[in-house]
Amino acid sequence: MNNKHIMVVENLQTHYRTRLKEHVYAVDGVSFELEEGKVLGIAGESGCGKSTLALSLMAFYFPPLHFKEGSILIDGVDVMKLPYEKLRTQVLGEKIAYIPQAAMNALNPTKRIIRFIEDIFHEHRPKMSKIQVYQMVSERFKSLNLPPRVLEAFPNELSGGMKQRTVIAISTLMNPTILIADEPTSALDVTSQKVVMSMLKKLMEKGYVKSMIFITHELPLLVHIADDIMVMYAGEIVERGKSKDVIFDPVHPYSKALMNAIIVPEKDMKNQKLSAIPGAPPNLKQVLRGCRFIDRCKYRNDICFSINVDKISEIRHSSRTYRCIFDIDTLQEMYKKESQSDGR
Amino acid sequence: MYYVNVLLKSHKFVIGAFVLVSIVLLAILYPFINTADPKDLVAMAFEPPREGLILGTDNFGRDVFLQLAHGTRTSIFVGLLAGIVATSIGLVLGLISGYIGGLIDDVITTFTNMFIVIPSFIILIVISVSLDVRSATLVSLIIGFTTWPWTARAVRAQTASLRNREHVNIAKISGYTTPRIIVSEILPYMASYVVMAFVLQIAAGILAEAGISMLGLGPHDTISLGVLMQWALLYEAPATGAWWAFVPAALFIAAISFSLNYMNSGMDEIFNPKIRGN
Amino acid sequence: MNVYVRYLLRKFGWYTLTFFIAVTLNFILPRLIEGNPIAMIVATMAQGMTDADRQRRLFESYMQQFGLDRPLFEQYLIYLGNLFRGELGVSFGMFPRTVENIIATSVPWTIGLQLPAIITAWVVGNVLGALAAFKKGLFDKIVFPAMLLANAIPFFAMSILLLYLFALNLDWFPIGGGFSPRLMPYLSLTFIGSVLRHHTLPFLSLVFVMLGGWAIGMRSMAIYELNTDYVLYSKLMGIRESKIIRYVFKNAMLPQITGLAISLGTMVGGALITEIVFNYPGIGMRLFTAIRTLDYPLISGITLLIITGVLLANFLIEIVYGLVDPRIKSAQLEE
Repeated sequence: MNNKHIMVVENLQTHYRTRLKEHVYAVDGVSFELEEGKVLGIAGESGCGKSTLALSLMAFYFPPLHFKEGSILIDGVDVMKLPYEKLRTQVLGEKIAYIPQAAMNALNPTKRIIRFIEDIFHEHRPKMSKIQVYQMVSERFKSLNLPPRVLEAFPNELSGGMKQRTVIAISTLMNPTILIADEPTSALDVTSQKVVMSMLKKLMEKGYVKSMIFITHELPLLVHIADDIMVMYAGEIVERGKSKDVIFDPVHPYSKALMNAIIVPEKDMKNQKLSAIPGAPPNLKQVLRGCRFIDRCKYRNDICFSINVDKISEIRHSSRTYRCIFDIDTLQEMYKKESQSDGR
Repeated sequence: MYYVNVLLKSHKFVIGAFVLVSIVLLAILYPFINTADPKDLVAMAFEPPREGLILGTDNFGRDVFLQLAHGTRTSIFVGLLAGIVATSIGLVLGLISGYIGGLIDDVITTFTNMFIVIPSFIILIVISVSLDVRSATLVSLIIGFTTWPWTARAVRAQTASLRNREHVNIAKISGYTTPRIIVSEILPYMASYVVMAFVLQIAAGILAEAGISMLGLGPHDTISLGVLMQWALLYEAPATGAWWAFVPAALFIAAISFSLNYMNSGMDEIFNPKIRGN
Repeated sequence: MNVYVRYLLRKFGWYTLTFFIAVTLNFILPRLIEGNPIAMIVATMAQGMTDADRQRRLFESYMQQFGLDRPLFEQYLIYLGNLFRGELGVSFGMFPRTVENIIATSVPWTIGLQLPAIITAWVVGNVLGALAAFKKGLFDKIVFPAMLLANAIPFFAMSILLLYLFALNLDWFPIGGGFSPRLMPYLSLTFIGSVLRHHTLPFLSLVFVMLGGWAIGMRSMAIYELNTDYVLYSKLMGIRESKIIRYVFKNAMLPQITGLAISLGTMVGGALITEIVFNYPGIGMRLFTAIRTLDYPLISGITLLIITGVLLANFLIEIVYGLVDPRIKSAQLEE
């Protein structure tokens, strides 16, 4: 098994600065490693900081998003320390590429697809001629089941699903080491979703990308594609482990609640009881002390309220990590009791 | 009352309203203090401002300040009436074409577009020129009848987007008649738009009156801000250097239109908040 | 049939229809309201003339040209016929000069004033607006409110303000007229200089007010484009800042070009009040005097001219826009 760490993130902290000069913490101390050839899923509700994390990982900061602390190493190089020119020409789109949410709007409406692609190649492969670019790109598009006629089209001549796949193809033209897919299927119908998922898998198979980070709020999607999963809540990672573990045997109360809230009729999950998670993610304007999930946690008790540390520390248990004060056995006991009392 | 409270939070609205109210109050109250007839001759022609004559006299020797107060009354009246007429026509046409859609919508829209393209001011001139006697009311009506297209278009767009809402569908299924649906399910949601459109129509009306009067097609025998300007231009006030005869009138027109637009801007911020990317 | 040709034909049809409606209104409204003001006025004016011969000639030429003794519908057809020959009648106030002739001598002054003003305002306004959007910060905080203010000032107010400040008070510029009354129109340096001096204040008053509108529009468009997803995506794919600015500019410009074309269309009738304030010998001034002297043919001719200008400009823009903007093209495809 190849254990090479393609990306290592250490204590990443980023925040938004509002007009009133307040700081809203979006990513509050995230650390993880991404291995070559693996897909890492990041799951969480809307508003937990997933998309911000994605942009932060690109080392792409712009007001009001600011970098506070931490390091992002890609192939051993800390991209946060690179000058912008190097970042732009050698990293963005080449080492690490991003597929935006709702790719429908990611394309310039007044430019033909191929012209945009030519601009990209101009930055990264200036020596290639337009003909060479066209050849290479149409080959690539064909291998991804995209008709080359797309190249001469304007974005509004393509359907939503087609646009999404085109954007995915464009993002991977430079064979980036890491591909970050930010909710690539949220804006699509079910059929298009399947097509996109298989396209992403194909990208990994063909080696066009080495590793992938897949961000979503639908945990079950990750069953098919992710090797490991990180669950994010209120700017922190609350659980991490192998994807099957996290989905079928979640440890952290939030992961458990996420799984209970799904409605997807996936084969293995029909027996789950459906329930929404009451409440909303906390406002990250103030620095929160202690457990951040406490307001919405079903399993909390007095000990949780009396914790007096800045952050709940992570507990490591074999290949899983989670952020709670209870040990894994206690939690699993609580979960078992709950499902038994539900009469199953 | 809730709406008033909310509006008072907008700086723009408050400033605009303050300026407008000040001017209106002046126009209404001053003639009670000085009850003379603005057409009376009080001094020599083109006398500069002095004691007792706040803004001097015009080409005939009449009190300019008094005229200003009376003129403002007329102009605001015209603006209001024109605004009411224009907004009403625009509202009705917009609601009908936006809600019913289909052929009626196509016809009304084509009709509206034609009137947007044909410059309303020119039509205003053409109509006014043919009339022998023009009262302030008549002028207001004409302005109202030529400036409605803008409101009609805006109302139509709003209505069209509202008609697909759930509560409208429910009302339809419940068998409500079309007029009832329009009035009870669509109109309330457009209240803020209608008010804003009305404010802008008033401003447009006042400017249109000013323009048409300056050209010489304003109301007969009535003093309005536009008419004041026309006299000044006609009787060579600028050449004589008698700034008091036209600059204050111009300033008042500008101030009224500006304050109305500012109020509208404030209302827009309150009623249609957008996430600002600053 | 080519999609675009269909689009063209549809637009052409619509504009022709609108034009006819406008022309008909221009013809009918005065006559409907007063009965037939032309006939009445002719009679009145004819009475006012001391020269019986002139009276007769005026009356007769009118009767003939416009068929005033015929039923209304026939008059309408005669009117249209005259129109297509470019005959707009004889002026009452400046008899025996024809309306076409009067318009022809005044239009150049108006265009000479408006065209440079519109273009200058457009260029400067767009640049200011774009800069404000890109630079943000202090520049934006000063420029934006200033532009709002400039835009909110009605044309005539600006004209009067400038007149008052610079002509009356500071005496830097003349009070009015197209050129010094002491000079004869002659292609000499003195004359041209005089024209320019007289041109400056009206020119500036137009520019200052129009500037604001363009700047605000461009700024909004640029800000909107700068915040779009495609700008973000392009940046994330490593495209350089200067190229992104070009993307934004091109997309933000489209509506501005439309606006320019529309402004050019309203050129002829756009500065009526400004011309009046400055006594500038253009169409506006003529209209003013025409109204005062109840010179119906002249009034009618001028209003028609303005309507035609606006319609023509709008039509041309729609055609050009259909060619340029791919979004319009595909919207046509969907129909």
